[in-house]
Amino acid sequence: MMFPQLKIAALVSVGRNPASGAPRAARNDVLALDAALALAPEVSVLHAGDAAPALHDYLAYGAASVEVLPLPAGADALAPLAARVAGYDLILCGQRAEAGQGSGTLPYRLAKALNMPVVSAALEITLLGDIVEIVQFLPKGQRRVVRVSLPAVIALHPLAPRAPRYVYARLRAGRLLSAPALVAAPLPVSPWQSEPAVKKPQKLKPPETRQGHARLLGAIATESKGGALVREGSAAEKARAILDYLRTNRLIEF
Amino acid sequence: MNQERKRLDPRRPFVLSPAGLRRIILGATGGFDASLLAAPAYKPAPKPLRLKGDPAGYLLVAAHSQRGMLDAHAHQAIAAAALLASPQQAVVVLVFGSLNEDLRAYGADLVAVLPGADELGFAPEQELAWLCEFVTRYAPAHVFMPDNEIGDGDLGRRLAIHLGAEVATHVVELKPGAVAMYWQGGAALARGLMPLVVLIAPDVAETSLPFSGAGETVAPPAAQAPPGRYQNRGLREIAASALALEEADFIVAAGNGVADIPTLEAVAAAFGAAVGASRVAVDEGKFTRDKQIGATGKTVSASTYLAVGISGAVQHLQGIKACRHVIAINSDASAPITKRADLSVVGDAQEVMSALLAELAQRNLPDTARESV
Repeated sequence: MMFPQLKIAALVSVGRNPASGAPRAARNDVLALDAALALAPEVSVLHAGDAAPALHDYLAYGAASVEVLPLPAGADALAPLAARVAGYDLILCGQRAEAGQGSGTLPYRLAKALNMPVVSAALEITLLGDIVEIVQFLPKGQRRVVRVSLPAVIALHPLAPRAPRYVYARLRAGRLLSAPALVAAPLPVSPWQSEPAVKKPQKLKPPETRQGHARLLGAIATESKGGALVREGSAAEKARAILDYLRTNRLIEF
Repeated sequence: MNQERKRLDPRRPFVLSPAGLRRIILGATGGFDASLLAAPAYKPAPKPLRLKGDPAGYLLVAAHSQRGMLDAHAHQAIAAAALLASPQQAVVVLVFGSLNEDLRAYGADLVAVLPGADELGFAPEQELAWLCEFVTRYAPAHVFMPDNEIGDGDLGRRLAIHLGAEVATHVVELKPGAVAMYWQGGAALARGLMPLVVLIAPDVAETSLPFSGAGETVAPPAAQAPPGRYQNRGLREIAASALALEEADFIVAAGNGVADIPTLEAVAAAFGAAVGASRVAVDEGKFTRDKQIGATGKTVSASTYLAVGISGAVQHLQGIKACRHVIAINSDASAPITKRADLSVVGDAQEVMSALLAELAQRNLPDTARESV
């Protein structure tokens, strides 16, 4: 169902091909754009940063135009984005960026700045009047249904069941628009030092303080976990032992 | 010549190690002492307490439990906090959901359990209020949470944004006072000082520790958040049989010892479980290749793994490493799977499966499962 009266924004970023490192449309943001286009015919597609060529991919995925908010390299995108999307009903974005920090905190910070509820890991989005119903991803085949009232910020999960289509004609027809930023982004002050990831990260381990003899004893006493063993009894009793174990550990509900 | 050779007494004193191996007692002479068998000498000694005296500071760990247990990722978060804490810093653990396990082995000094927190419910405002109360109560130097998808990653980000604090997410390396995480989709590693909120990736810390936590129970937070903006509408469950094996929570797997596949599938349907198989069963053509679990097949992480007629070759055990509860039905009591399994039933697979089906048919089954029994 389409809701033309709603103001919907999709936030897009420049992604990164995990194999080649080439810039591309970020996969999660493509899903967000596709979900937004399913809700309203007119969606504001916003990008804070440079007018990178990779943004044209979003045109091919259905954006009529991509509005580029200028941002100095490495600056925080929150302030210009928050100023631009104030007054919108629904703001969609991918859960985690492919390039840059990819910390997945932008939707939360945006929601805090705009005083809106935020729901992440969204798979499906349904509008019910001024309420939006979201199916959230949970591991182990579970899905959770959450409702929030508009306006809201929603971050899409990478497994959202959407099939965005790449149409080259749309890429030719669409345009990148550069808009003046409403608010100047603060200069980057990053407490992090980044280096090429060549070495594997080290696992945090307790320091080895035991002397030789204690270490030997530790090596002998291997953890042979081996749980309970049911040998005796009829097949029915054995079956009951299995069911009892499942019930004790609350693995079955009946 | 012969008389001068030093002979070893074949019956010199020995004890049995927990693994069942015979270990001689060096330097001891005399015959075999039966009393030593009853009390093995290699009983692991109780580990020393890490915390010395009254705590002067705190580190907070918060995590959601599932079915009364924390997962390995949450254990790693607790162990990481315990490894990073100074001898005067106590590790406070706040568990959302019920808890039926002992967290002392992971270094938890103070444990607060919120059994009222709906395990899979969605109440971020209420959980945030509880977490903030603990942050105010203990003023922890750092808050550690597993960056997972069952709610901790979400709650950790909300906490950091609410407090206006620095946060490090998907942390892959922890050192005293410093963290590292991947940027640029894994191409760059960013290092910095440890912020207040640390959301850790899986496998950043070792969980077998040389010390133990105090494990005291403390009162859970009592803060009440005002009615929130989020409305939880419950869960929508997908039948395990419709899921890929990697995502399934309950797997019934067949091995060489299973001849009757329809019975096995009926058992799986009765439990609402996905069906897997060992390499032998797949090679015989009883199952398709996508059902194979093990080194050359799939690696699964189900909570419950029911292995029927599987002996448990190393390659198979590798594929079920992450499974929480392993139950084995096998005719051989000395098969390697019994070492891995939490419950091993020794008996004919066919008989036990039929008995299981008969037992399940009498029970109050969910409607979907009843049809298939």
